[in-house]
Amino acid sequence: MTTYNYNIKHKLGILFVFIALVFPTEIIAQRMGHGVSRGGGGHSMSRPTASRSTASRSRPTTTRQTTRPTTNRTPSRSISGGQSKNHNFSNNRSTSKIKSKTSNNNIGNRGGNKVGNKTHIGNNNVNINVNNSRHTNINNRNTRVRTSPVRYTRPPYRYGGHRYYCHRPYYYHPYRPFYWGPMWHPWGFFVRTLATTAIIISIENQKYHYDSGVYYVSSDGGYTVVQAPVGATIKVLPEGSQTVQVNETTNNYYYGGAYYEKDGSEYKVVAPTAGTIVPSLPEGGEEVKIGDETYVQFGDTYYSPVQVDGKNMYEVVQVEEDK
Amino acid sequence: MKLSKFLILIALISTYTGFSQTNKKDSTAVFILNKMSAVINDLESVTFNLSHSEDVLDADNNIVKKYSTSELSLSGPDKLLIKSQTEDGNLGFWYDGEFITFYNYDENNYVTLEAPETTIEMIDDMHEDFNFQFPAADFFYPAFTQDFMEQFDTIKFLGRKIIDGETCYHIMANNATLNVQLFISSKTYLLPKHFVIIYKNKSNIQYQSTFSNWSLNPIIPNAAFDFLPPPTANLISILKKS
Repeated sequence: MTTYNYNIKHKLGILFVFIALVFPTEIIAQRMGHGVSRGGGGHSMSRPTASRSTASRSRPTTTRQTTRPTTNRTPSRSISGGQSKNHNFSNNRSTSKIKSKTSNNNIGNRGGNKVGNKTHIGNNNVNINVNNSRHTNINNRNTRVRTSPVRYTRPPYRYGGHRYYCHRPYYYHPYRPFYWGPMWHPWGFFVRTLATTAIIISIENQKYHYDSGVYYVSSDGGYTVVQAPVGATIKVLPEGSQTVQVNETTNNYYYGGAYYEKDGSEYKVVAPTAGTIVPSLPEGGEEVKIGDETYVQFGDTYYSPVQVDGKNMYEVVQVEEDK
Repeated sequence: MKLSKFLILIALISTYTGFSQTNKKDSTAVFILNKMSAVINDLESVTFNLSHSEDVLDADNNIVKKYSTSELSLSGPDKLLIKSQTEDGNLGFWYDGEFITFYNYDENNYVTLEAPETTIEMIDDMHEDFNFQFPAADFFYPAFTQDFMEQFDTIKFLGRKIIDGETCYHIMANNATLNVQLFISSKTYLLPKHFVIIYKNKSNIQYQSTFSNWSLNPIIPNAAFDFLPPPTANLISILKKS
């Protein structure tokens, strides 16, 4: 009799547990509510983690999946019998340069960004006399953008904790470096001798040689073209200089990527002012994808491609940190 | 004797705790989500189309609708191809398990980056570092249901609805900032048909997406996931988010 009662109670107990378990959604709700069965680990489309498989009583398919690794499936489908061709192709692939905004914000970082990596840009315009390994550090002081004196009416483009202000809408056109004639040379260009018309300009204990809108520094028994140093003054603007509008009352003069401001009877090299529209850019910049937009970068200066009266131009971008 | 009492006690605790959770996390909704997730996780390859609409706020805080379409192909754990037509241009992503390439058809330039070994890791990394958006990526995480349940305070099953002539299970989830509504097809395979995300703290702007043309386990050649740059395309640099 005692044995009979024991059997009855035992069977009822098992039956009760079974009834509880046949409602898997209740079990799932409990499991999920406690958050004990998070998948984690194996992040792949068709290979759920072991922990997920074992924890889920209502999803028997997951147990099956672990025995079917998809990585071994695709090669067997290849009609060419292997993947070596694709593998070699991938290993030789050129990759993009990854830029970081923080590294560009170091004002006066003389050893900053190197420019003119011709494997990325302007392949049709590579000048064989330009040796970019010789000197081409951009002095960020010369590319630090001055704030626009004109209030922006358009909302900024936001990316990565920064706001990119432009007066005109983004209108992409490919970066094609411009050449200002036979006397002009891009940054990094090396010459053995200078014309007799060259003059010497000293800025912050650095001696520059200036001739026809181009600035040189002595190097390796010759002279290498560098960016125009902010603060340098010249008496006559180089031939081919263009007037660019900074605001309704102020103009700059633009030549070879350098900005000049009238200073008495002379012209002083200044950093670019945000909002200034320029018709062309010299060699030495690089196209950088910033979120959904592609700008041309020279050190700390970003140029947004825009269109003015149907002509492709560039606007100096004002970059501000989100606060 | 002791064993049976112990089992009854465990069962009682289980059922009690189970019922206590059902008020906020509807068990039917969870069951449907689990089934859908299991079907997706069991796929070895898949192709489908997406049609999106996205609200954005203009300078005057007016809501502006933006529409786009995408074709997606996934194969194994490490192959992804997306081609999108958006108002901002035609874009493509190629991921072959080693590299990811983002190509802008209109600008004819591209970015190629070394990428993690799996699609999910790649999506995480690219979104984190460069803000790349991968449409409907949420559904392809192996822990979709668990993540969904952890993220939302309430999940409800709202019944059957017809979307594009297809009967769907309607599930709504809410938390302080989001209202998400999923429409999961009740056909043979439980696959997502449509979803809406409403951003409560951003003027209730919405993101909607509709799935179509599901093809389950198609044979996709690996070469489809390799990017070959057009002869005139430029490889450009990319700025990291931070």
